[in-house]
Parts: sequence; C-alpha cells; structure tokens
Amino acid sequence: MPELPDLNPVVHGKLRLALLTLLMGVDEAEFTWLREKTGASDGNLGAQLLKLEEAGYVSVEKKFVQRKPQSLYRMTETGRVALSEYVAALKQLLGNAAI
Amino acid sequence: MVGTNANDLELKERLELIESMLAEGRRTTKRWSWTIVLWGVAFYVAIGWSSGMLGGPIWGQHYMAWPVTMIGTWLLTWGLFRRMRSGAKAPMTTVGRAMMSIWTAMGISMFALLLPMGLSGRGDQQVYVAVVTSLLGTANAASGLLLKWKAQFACAVVWWLASAASLFGTVTQSTIAFLVAIFLCQIVFGIYAMVLEARDRRASGAVHA
Repeated sequence: MPELPDLNPVVHGKLRLALLTLLMGVDEAEFTWLREKTGASDGNLGAQLLKLEEAGYVSVEKKFVQRKPQSLYRMTETGRVALSEYVAALKQLLGNAAI
Repeated sequence: MVGTNANDLELKERLELIESMLAEGRRTTKRWSWTIVLWGVAFYVAIGWSSGMLGGPIWGQHYMAWPVTMIGTWLLTWGLFRRMRSGAKAPMTTVGRAMMSIWTAMGISMFALLLPMGLSGRGDQQVYVAVVTSLLGTANAASGLLLKWKAQFACAVVWWLASAASLFGTVTQSTIAFLVAIFLCQIVFGIYAMVLEARDRRASGAVHA
C-alpha cells in the first residue's frame, strides 16, 4: 500500500489556505480586498498573512497611496509550489479515503 | 489519520474552501459586460454618422465618424474601467488579464488595418464590414473559449456569418448583416451578460474562512 502524504501545516490552516487560493488567481491583492473576500478580522488576517510571509509563500509591499497606507500581497513561486503540492496531497488522501 | 470520518470531513471541507475561494477570486473579473452594450451603441452611432443619418454641423464630417467614435469609446471604456477598479480595489486576475489582452490586441489590429485601408482607399464598404465583423468574431471566439461560455462563442459565429454575408451580398445587404449582428452580439448579448452579472453579484455574499 502506498504511503499517504503529509499535509503542509502552514497551508492547511483554513484562513491561510483561503488566502493562498485567492492570491493564486490574481497578480497582487490589497489587504482590504483579502479581508472583504475572507470575512476575517484585521488582527487574524494580519497574523495569518505574517505566517505565510515568514514561510516565504507570500511577499508584501507596503506603500502610501494618497497619504493612506496600502499593503499589497503577492504569492511567491514557493507559495505556488506549496499550494500545488498541498492540493495534490489532499486529492490523494481523499482518494484513499474512498469518497 | 485519514481513516476517521471527522478527518475525511475536514479534508473535504478544505477542498470545498479551495473551490469557493477560486470562484470568489474570479468574481472580480466579471464587471465588464456593460462595455459590450457601450460598444454596440458606439457602432450604431458611427454607422449613423458615416451614413449621414445624424444631422447637424459636427455630424456633417462623415469621414471622421469611425475614427472619432472608436477612439472616443475606447477612451470612455478605459476611463470607466479605471474608475471602477480603483473604487472597488479589485485586483487584476489572470483571467482578467487574458481577456484584456484579447480585446486590446483586437482593437489594435482593427486600427492598424482599417486606418491605412481608409487612407489608402483600398477596400470598399463591404470589405470594411467583413474585416470588422471577422475581427469581432475572432475576439468573441477567443473570449468564449477562455470563459467556456457557449453564448459568446455563438456570437462569434454570428459575426463570422455577417463577415461572409457582407462579401457575397450587396452594399445594402452588407449593412443589414452588420446592423443585425451588432444588435444580436452587442445589444442583446450585452444585456444578457449584464443580467447574469447582476444575478451573480446578488448571489455572492461574504465568505467566512
């Protein structure tokens, strides 16, 4: 019987997974757009984005637009690979669970 | 591990979350159908102006009809798009970029071909209509295939039929084919797309992840 893959714990977090999936389909996204799409609180969203940033899965660019701070998040190539591997592992696990 | 129902449910929940977030991300590309109607109206204005149906001192310059209407509509579309994007703070998606590339390339091709054709005097009205409808057919087909949208691909077929009809028919028949294609593929299809967009926006709520 083939060995079952482990799920990446950084990607597996519900909000982190949602954020990576959202970022996968866009060039870059503002903090406010990510908050609107996920419905998360500012504190929780900031903390999860920081974890993704520390893991090297997203990069952030902070700047001022019309004197207002703006945080732009982008998915990195490492993040793209991590998400792809996570989805493949998830499908394998669900396949083995005979859904 | 995986054998328990609780774990299976959690894994399925993650898969559903991925699917819903992908759909949520795509939603940002879907506020563009008003441009279809806008360009349909622009085509009608250009045809009316160039054929002398519109009166008045400005409308008398028939040779300016197509360049002025097309450039004006392009600027209006670009300005409104920028305003809508900055208002909603919606990011550019991969699909959105692909769509924009198709229609920008089509617009540049049209200008690059039609302007020299007009200035050189090579090509009559039927050839003009055939070129315009053929290019619109190409762009609609590419968009329809990208979005997997049969209705838009059907529009491409209508444009291609109008293109062929324009070359085989008389000047009047060519004009009628063009007017009918504009009505079906710009006005009717545009309104249909706007209705779908509005329905989609109503159906979408906040996603709590």
